[in-house]
Amino acid sequence: MADRYSFSLTTFSPSGKLVQIEYALNAVNQGVTALGIKATNGIVLATEKKSSTPLADPSSLSKISLITPNIGMVYSGMGPDYRVLVDRARKVSHTNYKRIYNEYPPTRILVQDVARVMQEATQSGGVRPYGVSLLVAGWDEGILPEEEEVQPGKEGQEQKPPGENKSKLAGKTGGILKGGPMLYQVDPSGSYFPWKATAIGKSAATAKTFLEKRYTEGLELEDAVHIALLTLKETIEGEMNGETIEIGIVGPPADHLLGVEGVEGAVGPRFRKLTPQEIEDYLTNL
Amino acid sequence: MPSPFSINGGACVAMVGKDCVAIACDLRLGLQALTVSNNFPKIFQYGDHVFLGLTGLATDVTTVSDLFRYKVNMYRLREERHIAPRTFANLVSSSLYERRFGPWFVSPVVAGLEPKTGKPFICGFDSIGCIDFAKDFIVSGTATDQLFGMCESLWEPDLGPDELFETISQALLNAVDRDALSGWGAHVYIIEKDKVTKRLLKGRQD
Amino acid sequence: MRGPTILKATDDKTRQLNDHTLLAFSGEPGDTVQFAEYIQANSQLYSMRNESELSPSALAHFVRGELASSLRSRNPYSVNLLLGGVDPITNKPSLYWLDYLASLAKVPYAAHGYAQYYCLSLLDKHHNPNISLEEGLRLLKLCSDELKRRLPIDFKGLAVKAVTKDGIKAMPFDEDDKVVRDT
Repeated sequence: MADRYSFSLTTFSPSGKLVQIEYALNAVNQGVTALGIKATNGIVLATEKKSSTPLADPSSLSKISLITPNIGMVYSGMGPDYRVLVDRARKVSHTNYKRIYNEYPPTRILVQDVARVMQEATQSGGVRPYGVSLLVAGWDEGILPEEEEVQPGKEGQEQKPPGENKSKLAGKTGGILKGGPMLYQVDPSGSYFPWKATAIGKSAATAKTFLEKRYTEGLELEDAVHIALLTLKETIEGEMNGETIEIGIVGPPADHLLGVEGVEGAVGPRFRKLTPQEIEDYLTNL
Repeated sequence: MPSPFSINGGACVAMVGKDCVAIACDLRLGLQALTVSNNFPKIFQYGDHVFLGLTGLATDVTTVSDLFRYKVNMYRLREERHIAPRTFANLVSSSLYERRFGPWFVSPVVAGLEPKTGKPFICGFDSIGCIDFAKDFIVSGTATDQLFGMCESLWEPDLGPDELFETISQALLNAVDRDALSGWGAHVYIIEKDKVTKRLLKGRQD
Repeated sequence: MRGPTILKATDDKTRQLNDHTLLAFSGEPGDTVQFAEYIQANSQLYSMRNESELSPSALAHFVRGELASSLRSRNPYSVNLLLGGVDPITNKPSLYWLDYLASLAKVPYAAHGYAQYYCLSLLDKHHNPNISLEEGLRLLKLCSDELKRRLPIDFKGLAVKAVTKDGIKAMPFDEDDKVVRDT
């Protein structure tokens, strides 16, 4: 009987708005602030780990998650919805990609897959939209931005406009052979945006103004972590220490996390979470 | 003799050279001993430097080549980049294994150059997708035995594009002349970093 | 034919797909007409919907697709086909050979069944790329004679149709034939 009346709860209002999606965004805007900053050699994701009681064990709470060895994710909004999305993201990265191509998806492909999951929740019967916004950070294999600059120069005498050169590299469809760090935000509607640096959640506006002031082109990962902590400090409500702050970075391959040594061709994960001790070290240098 | 792999006949071979690879096939389409067509190519291109050779049942050669045309086009639209040979090889493998209990009767061969490094890449498959990576050469089709013999004796490491063309052409031509089910002309592709050369070999028409 | 008995000697084993394309078939009785008329109906539906005709190449690949999906279904059609047509835009004639496995080949001349063994060698010798319709009919007569001479069964002759840029028409063929054609 229930399936006979399984219509979508997200319907247009006379003014053309989907208010359910706006309510979902309201849920996000009440969430704990999370932010991400892209550097030349990596990305940092950071958020506050708030617990309502001193009796809670903070080490068991985790808001930044690894999706694939090179991609991580953080959220603002409803925790339970986020966990569902993390599960789905990990699943689709295998079913839609690794099991077909025997390699992990590039960041944008993963972002599109997750965005599709979130969009479907705005059009399907009997479900509500996800009450979270995500920041997805990843590293893609491909031509790094700095290598792209070198290539036209190598060709020498004939100076072609950069567009023409790129199309020769990429072929018919234009193309992103682009590699390196990638940072995306995904919203409950299923829209997604690439960012150099951004924040989501309760104090997103404040944090973004702060980031606009501190962000510079050619930023290094260490500086980015530094700026992330400074931004968090502006908006944070409780105390700042290794237990109350969570940081994930996309950086150079972390071969020590591989679990083995001496395997030829094995490359460690680029995404990893900082330990409370590492965070404390950054905080003392703040 | 009613093996689906040898009804129509056909042969394919791929070889690694120095900064180049070659892939070649015969052109025969037959029904057992009877030749129906001498213009049935078995090599298909899926990117600037990605080639697939398919021998086996002719209907599946067409179906599978069309299937990968679709899959690769979708990949290119989705990812806004060309598929790399190694990625393509894994796509071939997983697509064939999908039909584990009712396989396509084909023996694919992939040849290409890896996009960033320009390193040669070749591999072969059985009909259910088990990959055979090779450093030297891959053969497939009804002239497999003959091709193995020819390649083992003619191939050597680090052949340049011209020497590689001569080697693969002689290997294929002489192998198919000792196989009743393949021959009747050949296509040879020499794949280099910034150039792909396709040559038609007339071969014996008997 | 039903076993050794001839039921009809003038059975037309062709179907016209559109103004410039003809499909000839052989194979399992029942399957053949069913499949050919299914293709014919779809071709005509396309022409009515789009007020234009599919090219011989497009039709050949459509037929192949249908036959290929039939091949791996629970009961596949066993039909061998020859598809001949003149492209309405380029005016180029083309001939496609398809067997029941859905192997498709574009060929200059073709046959199915026993005719392949008797006729292909004749065609190899006498066909040239610029052959005219009249020469073609003379060559077809050589083939027909060979079949009469060599086939162990009482060969009832050929129904001949010509596809030109002006359309399809039945051709008079082998009129002075001594064999009784109608039973």
